[in-house]
Amino acid sequence: MKDPTVEDACQRYLEDPEANAAHLETCAECRAVSAALSAKASVEPAVIDVNTLPLANWEGSSHRPWPLVLGLGAVLVIIALALCDAAGMSPVHVAESSLASMEAIRSLVNSATASLRGASFGWQIAFGAAFLIVNALLVLLLRRSPRGIDA
Amino acid sequence: MRRMLRLFLPLTVVAASLVTAMIAAPPSFGVHAPLTVADATAMLQNTAITTALLAVWMFAAVALTLLSGREIRYSSLEMRASALHCFALGLVAVTSFVLTAIVFSYLIPYLVGVPLLFALGVFAILTKIYGMVAVFHAIGTLVAGSRTREQLNRRRWLRGDLAMVVVGIIILGALRLIPIVGPIIWGLSSVFGIGTALATKFGRREPWFLALKVA
Repeated sequence: MKDPTVEDACQRYLEDPEANAAHLETCAECRAVSAALSAKASVEPAVIDVNTLPLANWEGSSHRPWPLVLGLGAVLVIIALALCDAAGMSPVHVAESSLASMEAIRSLVNSATASLRGASFGWQIAFGAAFLIVNALLVLLLRRSPRGIDA
Repeated sequence: MRRMLRLFLPLTVVAASLVTAMIAAPPSFGVHAPLTVADATAMLQNTAITTALLAVWMFAAVALTLLSGREIRYSSLEMRASALHCFALGLVAVTSFVLTAIVFSYLIPYLVGVPLLFALGVFAILTKIYGMVAVFHAIGTLVAGSRTREQLNRRRWLRGDLAMVVVGIIILGALRLIPIVGPIIWGLSSVFGIGTALATKFGRREPWFLALKVA
């Protein structure tokens, strides 16, 4: 049977070994436990040379080379402005041209819809089937989980 | 079932490719050198518009990379890891967008079509923008990315997501300026980008659908 005060001291040592390190000098039992644990912990981990590991995709990714970005951006803007000036165009004209491609898509969709309305019942059924098949295939492909990191 | 799917998938990809090519093809697909002053002016105007749009793309790409660099990086990695899946998904997605737009347009007289069409348009545009930035990153990394840690440490400017995106824009933009081939390359990149954006759920790597488990 252990003395209760010694038992409390052992308990305190086990809870916080670093703060109660002096307890080891007075308690042979705890000294034996500590020695056994140290012997087990003395197995050294394998040496890993970080440089031999493949480069992870996130390494250096947060670096922001502003001189490169701003320089290339400025060069691109200057070339664009010079070309617009040479072609006698304003930035508004550029915006209108980019909207024209959207308009082309819109007119394509509108004409397809008009054709569908005028089509026979059989064609409408076929379109409906194509719509269902393509969207089912889309759902099927979306169900596959991405594997980029694990590849 | 598997055999049917094996046959069905390539056929659908071919069909989707044809539809996408028909939609993406430039309106005037003639191969000729500029013979008159008007032709030369039109060519110069086209080049000016393309370059101006590239500048807009660069600002959008830089802003998006600053806002969500990690997501762009994940998507770029996915594109390089499973390119075929991303391309097939992109083809099917573009075809689905077009067919869904026709269906929603069909529903316009019933009022519900207008908001649905608007939502589809916004979603398609956002998908394309995000996907293209992921394509820029992938191209930049493939061409100018560091292969070793020493190479990465030696570099002062040509490292990081932002640099890879900018390099990708410059390369793809230069290709875009080539007549006839350029728009086709850009269109294929868009298909890749849309597929990647959808495959990775905009870089979040979450499933699109909840798995239904039967007890």
